[in-house]
Amino acid sequence: MVTNEDVQRFITAIKMASTYNFSDYSERSFKRRIEKLLVDNHMDINQLSLKIAKDNSFLEKVVRDITVNTTELFRDPEMWTTLRYQILPKLKKNKSIFIWHAGCSSGQEIYSMLILLNELGMFEQAKVFATDINSDMLETAKQGNYKYRFNLGYLDNFDKVIKENPYNYEDKVDVPYEKYFDIDKVKDTITMKQFLREKAVFRKHDLVKDGNIFYSKFDLILCRNVIIYFNNKLQNHVIELFNNSLYRDGYLILGAHESVLGPVANNFDRTKGFYRKKQF
Amino acid sequence: MNYKAIIIGGSAGSFQVVTKIIASLPANYPLPVMLCLHRLKHVRSGFVEALSIKAQMPILEPNDKDPIKSGKIYLAPANYHLYIELGNKFALSTEEAVNHSRPSIDLSFFSAAYNYKQKLVGVILSGANKDGAMGLKSVKDNGGLTIVQDPNECQVPTMTLASMNATNVDHVFSTNRIIDYLLNLE
Repeated sequence: MVTNEDVQRFITAIKMASTYNFSDYSERSFKRRIEKLLVDNHMDINQLSLKIAKDNSFLEKVVRDITVNTTELFRDPEMWTTLRYQILPKLKKNKSIFIWHAGCSSGQEIYSMLILLNELGMFEQAKVFATDINSDMLETAKQGNYKYRFNLGYLDNFDKVIKENPYNYEDKVDVPYEKYFDIDKVKDTITMKQFLREKAVFRKHDLVKDGNIFYSKFDLILCRNVIIYFNNKLQNHVIELFNNSLYRDGYLILGAHESVLGPVANNFDRTKGFYRKKQF
Repeated sequence: MNYKAIIIGGSAGSFQVVTKIIASLPANYPLPVMLCLHRLKHVRSGFVEALSIKAQMPILEPNDKDPIKSGKIYLAPANYHLYIELGNKFALSTEEAVNHSRPSIDLSFFSAAYNYKQKLVGVILSGANKDGAMGLKSVKDNGGLTIVQDPNECQVPTMTLASMNATNVDHVFSTNRIIDYLLNLE
């Protein structure tokens, strides 16, 4: 059983050896991640802290494993459908559309977005940026190469968002998967097409300490199921960063059960899971 | 009142039992009731509505960091783990499924047991896997009160039997007795 002292010990060890600061991560899930680290590495908290201090590549691996990296293609199809029929069409007249995927993990949502943009004829005008705290995850996202069997269920999500129109059931388009990815059942892989893989700009970024690193504001920021791992204080800090990084009228899209709390909430209008920065 | 919260876990065969239990709790029930039920990953909506038809207490799927209040029923949202965080609020997580389940009953029960200690009532109902058994054990180990639905009455008794194997549960009750007991908690 990991105690509060163990958690502090771990956070301090990381802080001393790197620029990462996990002090404001959400208490319950963070403790559980440490428990999992100890079990997976067959170590106690002292051994773990010592190895973090001495071995930088181990530290990076720990940071990768302590953060949660579960993501899906078109996770929450209703959200993507709203994006497709109600949000993105409003941006189509813009010469450029700036999109930031913050905490992109292994990248499935970036590819979901790129596929959607392509279907809407908005691929060229979109500038897509993606960040994550972890370089391994960014590398995976860049490769756009996923386990087929693991992602099999998510092809249903693709069908719902890309092939069906909930506003008009007769409007069905047959979009073959091969338009966007290659499936190799023997090798158990789904590989995104090259034109998708070349599109996004990937950068390492830590929401705890880094500001907007792109010298541009954004029309759309997606940060889904990331701030659930932060406490209220850090959540406020991150929402403030997003608020400052959005154009007026820009959209912030959080996870299905995340919300903007705290002082900055007044700066947004909310409809379902979409936050729109108000005009002042 | 010796208790601060009730947490109920169930899976296959528990829907009707849960519906019956929550229909019996009055609108002014003095505790929060947390439900952690396995359900199909892609059935996102409609579940709250279905449960709400007969309930007198409001049923909510909490957002991350929502405060926990008495007189409300909280349903763990589909595809998230539901934790109870310091400061009497919820926290959500999308980390890997546990016992093939997200939400995992064990994880919710662990965090509730840690947070409420002897002031928690944990209830395990009908279900087809062993998720929940270790969770109920942790409720017991932290001094809380443990109840399982009588396996003879369960549509699928795997979860209740696993719970009874994992710990020395306080009560094995039929649905009606669970309801009586929750209505008369002191």
